[in-house]
Formats: sequence, structure tokens, C-alpha cells
Amino acid sequence: MSTANSTPAAAGSTRGPFLTFLGRPSSGVVMLFAFYILLLLVFSLLSPFFMTVRNMMAIGSNIAFIGLMAAAGTPLIIAGGLDLSVAAIAGLVGVVIAVLHGDYGMNIWLAAVVAIGLGALVGAVNGLFTTRLRLNPLIVTLGMMSIVSGAALILTGGLTKPLMVQGFNWIGQGRIFDIPFPPILMLVVFIALSIVLRRTRFGRFVYAVGGNPEASRLIGLPVERVQMALYILSGISGAVAGLVLAAMLGAAAPAAAAPHLLTVIAAIILGGTSLYGGRGSVWGTLLAVLILGTLNNGLTLNDVSSFWQDVTKGVVLMLAVSLDQIRTRALGE
Amino acid sequence: MADKAKTVPPPRLEMRGIGKSFGGVAVLSDVELTVAPGEVLALLGSNGAGKSTLVKILTGVYTRDAGTVQVDGETSVFPNPRAAVTAGVRLLPQEISVMGDMTVAENISLADLPVRRGPGFAMVDDRTMREQSRALLDQLGFSSIDPDALVKRLSVAEQRIVEIARALAGQARVLVMDEPTAALTEQEAEMIFRIIRRLKEQQVAVIYISHYLNEVFEISDRIAVLRDGQNAGTFDTASASRGEVLAAMLGRVAGDLYDIKGSGETGDEVLTVSGLTVPGKLDGVDFSVRGGEIVGVFGLIGSGIETLGRAIYGALGPATSGTIHVTGSAYRPESAGKGKARGIGFVAADRKHEGIIGDLTVRENMVVPFQHRYVHGLFVSQSAETEQAKRWIDLLGIRTRGPEQVMRTLSGGNQQKVCVSRWLVDSVKLLILEEPTRGVDVGARREIYLELRALADRGLAVLVVSSDVEEVAGIGDRSIVLDRGQVVGRFDKGTPPATLMAATANDPAFNAA
Repeated sequence: MSTANSTPAAAGSTRGPFLTFLGRPSSGVVMLFAFYILLLLVFSLLSPFFMTVRNMMAIGSNIAFIGLMAAAGTPLIIAGGLDLSVAAIAGLVGVVIAVLHGDYGMNIWLAAVVAIGLGALVGAVNGLFTTRLRLNPLIVTLGMMSIVSGAALILTGGLTKPLMVQGFNWIGQGRIFDIPFPPILMLVVFIALSIVLRRTRFGRFVYAVGGNPEASRLIGLPVERVQMALYILSGISGAVAGLVLAAMLGAAAPAAAAPHLLTVIAAIILGGTSLYGGRGSVWGTLLAVLILGTLNNGLTLNDVSSFWQDVTKGVVLMLAVSLDQIRTRALGE
Repeated sequence: MADKAKTVPPPRLEMRGIGKSFGGVAVLSDVELTVAPGEVLALLGSNGAGKSTLVKILTGVYTRDAGTVQVDGETSVFPNPRAAVTAGVRLLPQEISVMGDMTVAENISLADLPVRRGPGFAMVDDRTMREQSRALLDQLGFSSIDPDALVKRLSVAEQRIVEIARALAGQARVLVMDEPTAALTEQEAEMIFRIIRRLKEQQVAVIYISHYLNEVFEISDRIAVLRDGQNAGTFDTASASRGEVLAAMLGRVAGDLYDIKGSGETGDEVLTVSGLTVPGKLDGVDFSVRGGEIVGVFGLIGSGIETLGRAIYGALGPATSGTIHVTGSAYRPESAGKGKARGIGFVAADRKHEGIIGDLTVRENMVVPFQHRYVHGLFVSQSAETEQAKRWIDLLGIRTRGPEQVMRTLSGGNQQKVCVSRWLVDSVKLLILEEPTRGVDVGARREIYLELRALADRGLAVLVVSSDVEEVAGIGDRSIVLDRGQVVGRFDKGTPPATLMAATANDPAFNAA
């Protein structure tokens, strides 16, 4: 065929090197990694206790349950969804296990399975309301957060229930080769999700559905089923996080997980996942979880009050979101 | 001032030597347009002729590169739409844009709300607002519309009238109406004409944009035609013939663009549609497409062409009635997924919102509809995807840095080729394309037409649904014209575009008038 007419190539890059760098899809992860290394350096200089094996493992244990929720939340936001109820589910699950085992004498592992099923069910309800009724996920999962947190408080009358069972507590406190189990579990989940997102058909659909839902529908992709599956996955991740947290604390506190919701969402966004959908990676989220956890730990070691830590977290998040916006523009309209 | 009063009054609007280019491509060059007080000037031109750019310059949306604009003899520069409105240049946009949850009076007065001032505060003066709106509606002859009614409770035609009243609020000197009757029935369109006649009496200059020639001949005093961004003729309506106006609009048939030889062999019927009906959109449409054949469907906006392709494909869900056969067996549209499974491919008109997935790569965009073909065991084989993507890039001559280029950075024509390539798998027997060359430059257009012909020659049945009359006349082996949801004409290859256009204009209601 004739190729006589040559169309001009896509708009030449007349923008500065910084914007050109930001325009690359990988720029976000590179910048996060640099920031993480910088944090490690600064805190090692500020405190002799920071760069110790013991402290690194402490950070790992502290971020694991947040990481679990953020891991599953990432593909959900990439696909254009959002789950604000995930931390509340974590709180409910600990309580349900404590009640089923402690009050009704159910086998602890059976109770754990039931509780995870409950997480999946809550996720499915979120999915039904958002995909079938096409309600805004912000509203649906905000409502669900309130319902689930309330239910957890009702079940225990607002009290914390002890949950000390040999074997079960190992999930939160055990070690493999002297490394705490929770961060290992978290890492396994991240690796698994990364493979699913990058290498499977489902993973491709996640990006396509979030990138352009209408185009995806018109080329016959199962848009609603993909989103539904991700809401269920998010519910399950909340349940597993709750299980890890309860096992770690040796107790089920109905409101222990809820304050971490903001950290979960912050980590996903900081990690470079676009709130508009279609873009993001679980590795970015993992780095962001590490950064937020390290920031927390390093500031505590340096006797910075937890009030100032909240301020710091907010500043980091807003900076990251601003960068994401600039990035979106650098990528072109 | 006293001097001028003795001579002939200046035209209400005079645009001279208007030029505008985007990214080095001239969209308008040396365009002139004058309208006298109380005159209705119809502005005609096919898609891409430059009408909307000219209107945007007049209403302050774009700034011109060259030329002058005078309103009542005063040289005017409109840096933004607000400046144009203040100067008395008003636009009635094609899409109705009213605030449904506000009252009629609020909608009309929104740009200039009357206020009552007190010490340190200002409140909206509801009574004055209502009276002003009432007066405007009376002036238009629609006292029946209640200024306190919520606009969402009005009919579409009444909403149009509220919009016109809003455009006329304050001192309107020039009113631009862009396809004002597109969403209206014939009787409702007649109401708009009544209003226009009143506006003439009030010495407003009206620029009337429409594709319906009958309307244009009924309501206008003069007709100005644009083609390829230049003046292509001005006619006195009373003495002009349809033929000469159409000839000015369309020029000679752009032979080169569509001069493509196909094998001419056709196979069995791949698509047979009879009595296809979508309530309010399509009304008993019959036609068929054979393998190896390109069938074009032409219609104006609102004629049902927006619906036809997606109704057959299944994207509208099961909201259709009538019977459809695909490769000989009955097919009931239910969903896009079902249509795809039955061997139908679909390329949507709105490429940006319904076609491409901008953040993904060319490769990912190409393989995603049939992703399962590239799965080996548990995982997607990226090398198999890349191999296929490269084949398609070669086959369709897609200009890209490679399969990994991000989709949004391709030009419109190349994006369109990617959207076509998605469907080039054995199982797809029928390819439906809406507006296949919208927003595509002329060079790439020809390539897309060559590709469509090549695909047809390989046995694919191709259905092109388009509002571009030259395109349908140029590439269709057969063509069908839709008007108000019905087939109003069937033509063979080689029929001039003007004949297709004339078929849509055969509107009995207007002919009777």
C-alpha cells in the first residue's frame, strides 16, 4: 500500500527535562525509591537505633496489616473502584473470631475461615451496590464502613476481647528464619498480586476497565465482573489484615484498625496509583507503605509527637497527589 | 454619528478576512460574512468546512489569527465569550444547555441577575427577574411558559425556547443558532421558525446553521456556504436552486480520495436486518450486508445513525426489536460481549471516550478484546502479543515507534487503525464502524478507506455508519440513507453525494409547508 503521505509524529517534546521525566510511566516508582533511600539515610544519621535489624523487623511487623489492605486496594482503585470499608472490616473480623471462639467455643481455624468469608461477603455487597446499582463507591463504602464499625462495637459492647490461642497467635507473632511472619505474608501477597496484574488476562482487564470503562464495555470485556471480583478481594484482604492484627495483639479490639484507613488510601495514592483509574502498580504501593511506616518509626525514635506525625503524613500525601496531577498533565491530555 | 445616519445603515455584523489555523493547519482563510439587521443568513458547509470554528471566533471562544469583526460598524475584539455576550452577540448551541433544577426565570436571567442592594449586601430581586423573564417570553410569543416552573419539567422544545429567551436577554444584536431544530419534531421546529420571524421584526441579525436544506430555504434570506475553510458562494435564497447550493457545499466529488479498486466479489449474506426498531431512534430498518461488501449508511445527526451500529452489535442491550441474522442464523443483540462472540466487531464513533484506552500501550489496546488467545497455561504470553501486534502494525501501516508506544500519543488516524486492528481475527465476520474517519487527516483517511476495502476483499462484511455524506457515497458498494429513524433511500455505488443528501431532505412535513 501507499505510504506517500507521512503524518507528523506525535507532538515533539518541547518541555523541560523534569516534565519529560515525570511523563515516563516508571518515574513515580523511581522517585519513591529515591525518597525511601533518603528517609533511611536521614533517620540513620539522626538515631543510632534506627538502622538495626531489630528496628527494621519492628517496622516490618507494624506495616504488614496496612500493606495487606493496600495491596488489594491497589488493583481496585486501578479498575476505577474504591473501598473505604476495608479497615472497618479488619476490626469486625477480629471481633467475630473472638466471639465465635471465645463465646461459642468454635474451633479457632473454623472461626477464622468464617470471618474471612464474612469479609468476602461485605466486599460482594459493596460490589453489588457499585456495579449493579451504579452508585458512587465513595458513598457506598463510606456507608459500609459505618455499618461494619458499628456492628463490631455492638458485638463486644465496645470492649476489647482477649484472643490468646496457641498456634493462632503465631500468625501475628511467629517467625520464619527469625523474620516475623506478618511482613513475609504481606510480601507474598504483593508478589502474587504483581504477577496477577502483569501476567494474567484478569490483570490486563483491570487496567483496561479502569483506563476506559466505556471502551472496555464496547469491546465486550466483563467490566462489572472484574470490579466485583476486586471488591470481594478487598473485603478478603481486610479480613486477613484483621486476623493478622488480632493475632499480633492477642486481642480483638473493634476499633483498632479503623484509624489506619487513611494510611491505606494514602499509601495507594502515594504509590502512584491514579484515583482516576487505569494507572498504578502494587510495587509503588509497597514502597509507599514502607515510606509511611519508616516515617512513623523514625519520627517516633526521634521523639516527635504522634500529633506531628499526623501532620507529616498529611503533607507527604498532599505533595504526592499534587505530583500525580502534574504527572497526569505531563503524560498529555 | 450624524454622518452615518444619512448613509445606508452598516450591517449588523461584518466579518472580513478571517483566518485561523491550528498547529500550522489553516482551518479558515480569508472568510467573509455579513448580516444585515433583521436578516436571516443560513450558514452551510459539510463536516470540517469551518462553520464551527467561524462561530467560535464570532462568539469569543477562539481568537482569530487574521481579519476584522465589526458589530454595528464598531470594530470588536472578543477575548472571551463574556465579551461577545456583552457586545450583543449571542449563541444558541446545538446541545441544549439549561439548568434543570432552576426555574425558567433563573435560567433566563442567570448571566445578569437583577439585584436589590442594601447596606453592604445584595440580594437577587426575584420579582424583577420574574417580570423580565415574563416580558421576554411574551416577546417571543410564549406567554404560556410559567417563569416559576422548574426547567426540567418542560418539554425539550420549551427548554429550547427558554434558552432562546436567555440568549436574547439584555440587548441581543446577533443571534447564532446552531442546528436549533435537531432534537425537535416538525411542529416544534415550526415554533422556532415563528420565533425567528419575530426576531426579524425586531432587527436582530440571525445566523442559522442547519443541515436541513428545506429548513434553510424556508427561513433564510441569504445562504452563505463554506468549504474547506473558505467562502464557497453566497446566494439569495429566493432565487437560488438547491442544486447550486449543494454543488457549492460539496464541490466536485473528491475522486482521488475514494478511487479504490476492489475485487468486486461478494459472498453470502453475513448480516440481514429486518424491521429493526429501537423506540424513539430507529423505526423498522431493513437491509443486508454480504461478505466482501462495504455498505454505507448515511444520515444527519439525530436520524438514527448514532444508534444503528451499536443496536446491531448489542451495545444497547436487549432494547431492540425486529430480526437480525448473522451468518445465516438468528441473532438477538444482548450485550457487547455476545455480539463479539457472534463474530461482530465494532469501532465506536467517539474514539477518545469509547475506543482507545489511552494509558495502555498499542499492543495492549490491540489484543485486549480477544485476550484469551494469548494465554498459555496460566499466564499471558507477552511475546505472542508482541508478535501479533507487529503483524497488525505492518498490515495496516500504523505509524508508531513500536508496540510499546502509549496509545494516547498516537495521531487520530493511527489510533483509529489500532481500533480496527483489534477485530482482525478469524472469528469476526462483520465489522461495524461508526464515523470511521472523524478527526482523521486527509492522508490517513485514504489509508483507512484502502484498508476497509482490503478487508472486504478478504471476505469481511463491512458496515460503515457515518454523517459524512461524501464518505458514504465514496466508499459504499451500496448505500442507505436514514432519516428520523427510517430508511428513506437506497443507492448503488457511484451515486453522487448530493443525491444522498437530497434524500434526507425529503421531509414530507416541510414539503407540505
